Amino acid sequence: MNLFQYISENFNKIMELFVEHFFLFLFSIIITTIIGVSLSIIATDEGREKIGKTILSITGAAQAVPSIAVIALVFIYVGIGKTPTIISLIIYSLVPVIFNATSGILSVPKGVIEAGKGMGFTKNQILWKLKIPIAVPVIMGGIRSAATIIIGTAVIASVIGGGGLGDLIFTGLKLNRPEALVAGAASSAILAIIIDRILGYVEKIITPKGLKVEK
Amino acid sequence: MMSDSNMNEKQATENKENEQGENQKYTIELKNVTKRFGNDVAVDKLNLQMEKGTITMLIGPSGCGKTTTMKMINRLVQLDEGEIKLEGTSVYDIDPVQLRRTIGYVIQEIGLFPHFTVYDNIATVPRLLKWDESKIKKRVEELLDMVTLDSSYAYRYPLQLSGGERQRVGLARALGADPEVLLMDEPFGAIDPINRLKLHDSFLEIQDEIKKTIVFVTHDINEAIKLGDKVAIIRDGKLVQYANSTEILYNPANKFVENLLGQDRSLKALTLKRTKDFISSEDTITLDKEISEEEVLKLLQEKDQIVAFVLDENGKLSGRYWLEKTRKDKVEINYDESPILTEQNNTLNESLSTMFSSGEKLLPVVNRRNKFMGVIRLNHIFEEFNK
Repeated sequence: MNLFQYISENFNKIMELFVEHFFLFLFSIIITTIIGVSLSIIATDEGREKIGKTILSITGAAQAVPSIAVIALVFIYVGIGKTPTIISLIIYSLVPVIFNATSGILSVPKGVIEAGKGMGFTKNQILWKLKIPIAVPVIMGGIRSAATIIIGTAVIASVIGGGGLGDLIFTGLKLNRPEALVAGAASSAILAIIIDRILGYVEKIITPKGLKVEK
Repeated sequence: MMSDSNMNEKQATENKENEQGENQKYTIELKNVTKRFGNDVAVDKLNLQMEKGTITMLIGPSGCGKTTTMKMINRLVQLDEGEIKLEGTSVYDIDPVQLRRTIGYVIQEIGLFPHFTVYDNIATVPRLLKWDESKIKKRVEELLDMVTLDSSYAYRYPLQLSGGERQRVGLARALGADPEVLLMDEPFGAIDPINRLKLHDSFLEIQDEIKKTIVFVTHDINEAIKLGDKVAIIRDGKLVQYANSTEILYNPANKFVENLLGQDRSLKALTLKRTKDFISSEDTITLDKEISEEEVLKLLQEKDQIVAFVLDENGKLSGRYWLEKTRKDKVEINYDESPILTEQNNTLNESLSTMFSSGEKLLPVVNRRNKFMGVIRLNHIFEEFNK
C-alpha cells in the first residue's frame, strides 16, 4: 500500500490526531509561557540578579536532559493519560522559555533601567514599559523553540497515552507499516512549521520598532 | 555680663537671619551626609549647599563618593546619616517616585529607551505626570529646538542617532517636565573630545537660557573648571575644597588639589575666560551672498582689510573671502565655504588653540546656531591681557 493511498483512506483519522496533537501543543505552550515568563520576571527582579544568573546556568544545562527521561519520570509519579502528557510537555519546554526570558530581561541595558528609575518610573512601569518590551525578541525566541520542542516531544509522549500524531507513528512501528509512520512524522513536521511561522509573525508584530531599525 | 548676653542675642538673631536667608538661597542642602557600604564609608559627613540656578561640579578620583553623593539627592541611594533638603524640604518627606519625577536625571550611558522614539523619550516624565498630550507636543518641540535638533528627529529611534545626538536627546529628556534641579552623572564621559567641547558649549548656552540648579559629576578637571559655577573636590568621601573655579585655580587648598589641577594651572585659567568677551570692536567686513568677487576685492582694498565674511539671510556664517599675495604686488582673492571658526562660548584657551593649529590670527566667532557674532584677533587678545 503506498503512502497516498494510506493517507486518503485514513484521512479522517489523521486529521483527528492532527487536531488532538495541536490541542496538546496549545495547552502546553500557553501554560509553559505563563509559568516560564513569570518565573523569569520574579528571578530577575531588582536585587535578585544572582538568582537569575543561577537559573540561567541550571536551565542551560537542563537543555541537555533527554525528553524521554522527563516523560518517564512523570509517568512514574503521575501515571498515564492526557494530564501526565501535558505535565511532561510543560516541564520539558519550560527550560528554553525560562532560559531565554531570563537572559533577555537580564540583558536589558543597565543604563536604561537606571534612567527609568531615576526619572520616576515605578517598579511595575520599569517591568512592563522597559524590561519586557526590550526583551521581547529574546523571550519570543524561547517560546518558538519551546513550541517546536513541544510538538516533537508530544509524539514521544503518546507512549504514556497522550494521543496525537505519535499514535500513528507508534502504530506504524508496531505493525511494520512505514506509510503510517511517515504520515505521522510528516504531519507533525508540518504542524511544527506552521506554528513556527505563526509565532515568527507574532514576534515581528510585537517587537518594538525601535529595536529593529537600521542604524 | 551685660554685654555678653547682648552679644549672644545679637548672634542668635544673626544666625536666624542666616538660616532664613539660606532657605531662599540654596536649592539643595546636604548636611552631615554619611553613607556606608558595609564597613566602607563612601561618603563621610559631607556638607554642601547648592545655590539656585548654578552648576555645581562634583569631582574626585573614581570611588571617592561623588556619584553616591549625587544619587542620594534623588534617593537612588539611601543615606545612613545626615539630611538632604530640596528647597527646604527633606527629600525623605517626599515619595521617592514623585521626587524623581521632579528632578531631571542624565547618566553617562544616557539610557535612552531604545524602543521609544526621540519624541516618546523626551515625553517620558510629562507622561508620567499625566500632562495633556497637546502640552507635551509643544514641550517636545521646544526642547528639540533648545538642543538644536531638527524637528524631523522626533520620530527617529535612539539606534539611529550619533553619540552627540543621543546626548542632546538625553538632556532634552531630563528637562522634559521643566524640573528645577538637574542631576548629571558624567553625561559627556562617552563622547570623543572634539564633540565633548561642542556639547559643553551648547550645554552652557542652554543653561544661560534655563538657569537650572545642576549637580554635575565628572572626573575631568578641565570639564569641572569650564562648566562649574562652583567645584566640589571630593576625596575618600570627604570634601577637600568647595569654591568657584577661579578660587580653586589660584588658591588650591592642598597638594591633592594642586595635583588634580596639574602643572598648567595658569593655562587652565584661560578656560575661565569666554571667547565672546574678546570679540574685537574693530571693523569687520560682512557681505551677503549676491556680491561678486570683483566687488569684494574692491571693497577689501578700499578698507585695507584682508578678510571678509559672507552671511546668509539669517545672519549665519556661510563663507569667507581672503586675500593672498601671490607675487610682488599681485593679489589673489580666495573663497572658503567652511571657514575655520570658533564658538562664542568656547573658552579662550580653546579659541587660542584653534588659532595656533590653523595659523589664523583672526577667527570668526559664531553662536550655537552658527550666527556670526564678530571676530577675535590674536594681537587684540594679547593687548587685553597686558592691560
